[in-house]
Amino acid sequence: MTTFSITINGRAYGPAEISDDLSMNDFLREHLGLTGTKFGCGAGQCLSCAVIVDDADGASYTSPTCIAAAASFNGKAIRTVEGHAKDGQLSVLQKAFIVHFAFQCGYCTAGFLNEAQVLLERLAKKPIPRAELEKTVAEALDGHLCRCTGYIKYHEAVLDVILADPKRYLA
Amino acid sequence: MKSDTGVKLLIAAAALLASALSTSAVSLLPSNGLAAPENFATIEDTEARSAALFGELAKVLTHPRCVNCHPAGDRPRQGDMMRLHQPPVERGADGHGLAAMRCSSCHRETNFDPARVPGDPNWHLAPREMAWENRTASEICAQIKDPARNGGRSLEEIATHIGSDHLVGWAWQPGAGRQSAPGTQAAAGALVDAWVKSGAACPK
Ligand code: FES
Ligand code: FES
Repeated sequence: MTTFSITINGRAYGPAEISDDLSMNDFLREHLGLTGTKFGCGAGQCLSCAVIVDDADGASYTSPTCIAAAASFNGKAIRTVEGHAKDGQLSVLQKAFIVHFAFQCGYCTAGFLNEAQVLLERLAKKPIPRAELEKTVAEALDGHLCRCTGYIKYHEAVLDVILADPKRYLA
Repeated sequence: MKSDTGVKLLIAAAALLASALSTSAVSLLPSNGLAAPENFATIEDTEARSAALFGELAKVLTHPRCVNCHPAGDRPRQGDMMRLHQPPVERGADGHGLAAMRCSSCHRETNFDPARVPGDPNWHLAPREMAWENRTASEICAQIKDPARNGGRSLEEIATHIGSDHLVGWAWQPGAGRQSAPGTQAAAGALVDAWVKSGAACPK
């Protein structure tokens, strides 16, 4: 057992005693009922279960939850798909995903959304030349599997969000 | 009936003999799967003894627990069968993965056995120039002595690296479903130490 505290979408949970065998995915879905984070392959292959981890030093990155112990997130701050919309308003990315019909079944969407959000924040801190944009988006979303839409619509949605605000994201 | 009993007795005696033989054969092997430096003391020629020490150490260096993260290409391998890592991750600029797929995303501080994911706080690939995959003990020996291909380490630093680095030590605590590297980290460290002190000769 481990004594565990975590901040999820700005809200503190714990301290609580959890089993060392509990996966982060089970903690989110089964203990907290946050079912927006999906469980696909369960093997670190599809990233449908990825959440955003915000480090104290300001760095953010995604992490799969299916193959990671909940205890390994002790003391961390994370964001899940439930935290993107604010005051009932979808985020810019979420709106772009809808406009582009980026998803069909939606199983992969939370993972893509979290990954794309991390990318936007990274580019806002460190803009890139326009010429590197397509490659950067492709590299960022690489690893997320979608069995429905063929990826291109996700890529187009993210590109649109960035190109709509070039001063913010492009050098 | 009589001859049947005789045959049975003969078989029992043969089985006893075989088990006695195999027990004595096993007792000649090092108990932990890796011979200690003392086992090589009878080799009088220093260079030959040194090379033999490295040969023993090579059982560790060529083991899947070590080679999987000292791959010849940019993708690590995994499992006792040394298949290419799934998902298809790459070493990236610093050996800790690509920007969007860092090793630490999945490999956290400790092993997570329910999902069979190994862990260490410093999980990463050895640099490309330290590739051991498909190399012989002799080739790895030459490589490990060459500062250009050993991370700029002295031989003493190599001994410390193998004998006490935490990530290297994972090879002996690999978690469920994986073979441990032979022996123990301390035993491997003792072999490197003895190899260095005996002149760090390489097997032919
Ligand atoms: S469910 Fe976690 S990577 Fe597929
Ligand atoms: S929308 Fe169905 S898997 Fe991506």
